[in-house]
Amino acid sequence: MTQELVFLAFASLIAICSMMVILSRNAVVSAIFLVGDLFCLAGLYASMEAHFVAAIQVLVYAGAIVVLFMFVIMLLNLGPDQRKHLEVSAPEIGVLGLTIVGFLVIGGLLLLGQPTGVTGPLTAEAIDNAGGNTYTVGMVLFTKYLWPFELASMLILLAIIAAIVIAKKEHIKDGDKRRLAHG
Amino acid sequence: MGLTELIEVLSSDTAIQVIASIVKILIVLVLCLQVPPLMVWAERRAPAMMQRRKGPNRVGLFKFRLYGLLQSAADAVKLIFKEEVVPRGANKAVYHIAPIFGVFTAMMVACAIPYGNDISVFGQKVSLSPIHLDVGFLFIFAISSLAVYAVTLAGWASNNKYSLLGSLRASAQMISYEIPLGMSLIPLVVIFGTLDLNKMVLAQSAYPWSWGVVKAPISFLLFLVCMFAETNRAPFDLAEGESELVAGFHTEFNSAKFAAFFLSEYVAMFVLSCLAATVFFGGWQTPFIPYETLLSLLGGMEWLAALAGFVCLIVKAAFFMWVYVWVRWTLPRFRYDQLMSLGWKFMLPVGLVNLLVTTLVVAFIENAGRH
Repeated sequence: MTQELVFLAFASLIAICSMMVILSRNAVVSAIFLVGDLFCLAGLYASMEAHFVAAIQVLVYAGAIVVLFMFVIMLLNLGPDQRKHLEVSAPEIGVLGLTIVGFLVIGGLLLLGQPTGVTGPLTAEAIDNAGGNTYTVGMVLFTKYLWPFELASMLILLAIIAAIVIAKKEHIKDGDKRRLAHG
Repeated sequence: MGLTELIEVLSSDTAIQVIASIVKILIVLVLCLQVPPLMVWAERRAPAMMQRRKGPNRVGLFKFRLYGLLQSAADAVKLIFKEEVVPRGANKAVYHIAPIFGVFTAMMVACAIPYGNDISVFGQKVSLSPIHLDVGFLFIFAISSLAVYAVTLAGWASNNKYSLLGSLRASAQMISYEIPLGMSLIPLVVIFGTLDLNKMVLAQSAYPWSWGVVKAPISFLLFLVCMFAETNRAPFDLAEGESELVAGFHTEFNSAKFAAFFLSEYVAMFVLSCLAATVFFGGWQTPFIPYETLLSLLGGMEWLAALAGFVCLIVKAAFFMWVYVWVRWTLPRFRYDQLMSLGWKFMLPVGLVNLLVTTLVVAFIENAGRH
């Protein structure tokens, strides 16, 4: 019962924050709501006793990635959105329609009694018996999903190197070769 | 409801935990509110001591001067009763939220520090940190990584160039030094094999030669440097370099809002000091007296043992608070590019190598133990 209440509270907060991210006219305010969104998502994880994932969620997304978003927004010094009316284009109407249809299909399936909320093998008790949250995540990550995990880290490394290469090229174009020489 | 029924409800297991949580939160709140006045006093008297002058020593009660200790109380009263001026071009909502955010994150992190060993209350095991998680270590990082928003938003919402520059500096600095901070503490997680701060303290035992600082000295040095950078304190206080940026991100804040930034800065310092004491200096462990011995010395009274542990933690943390003041009045401010290159080109590689070596050594020892 308590878990359902916590879920409902966090889920509705997530819905409100997500709406505000796209509805607010100021980019910085959008970013603040995005932080709230990610924080509430961490709350959902925590309510499922996945404390490790919850902490990492806040640490990585809310604490690092959105800070960079905010940084860029502030550097660009964007003013508030000047649009008076909400203009909706044809593709947007299409996406909206598809979303509504999708929700209706999901709702219909739920009403038809499709099984939902079925717990997998990793229940809270099973994780406690296996030696805790962090241990379980680590074991799965470094045994069953070792190769995908390592591949993902290689991909991120490649992205970082690519970003640096692109940034360096700009400097050469500007004729700022001194900075390149100094690394 | 009759009295007996009330007692019955209050003595149920859940109720004991809830009441214990409320009491613990209140204690941490009061503790955190005591930090800034004492630190303000220390930060005036300590440099006076170092520079051979007197410092504020007048404000006291009636005839007792109390070494000027009540100067801080006078300051607090002044800050609260001061007229509040909001800049005209400020983004009002964000301007009002930013200081609250700072206090919220700082106090939330203060809740995750283990202030003593678990005690039993009416047969219930109660841990002495308000938020006790098996990933308490990560929780501290997660919440303190949100502290950067208070600074960033404060600078942006003020609509002032100095504020914006200060907050940009501060946020870049805090993000950069979060990485070496994490790198400096992960070896300790590897050594003690847990993310639970209380278990980490238990694993260190009461003897100083098994404390974290002996097992991972390089980690400790890295952590010590990151402590200053994460709290934007001298010599890394470029975010509020008064010779360039007036006061940095809090230029436009005054009265109670300024006090809130003050509070969050000092609480953040206190939390990092407590973390340093917990991870590197045995936390609430009384030096040379193991917990069981202490308990039997005190006649099995867990309350007294917990109190002794609490005092030990506060004394250890107070030392680091003193280091903050000491360094501030000893070292000059860094230049911004020096700060950044120190973080990325020195601290991060050293942290990574330290982590690698520690992991290899721990793996080797564990492997040797198995054969």
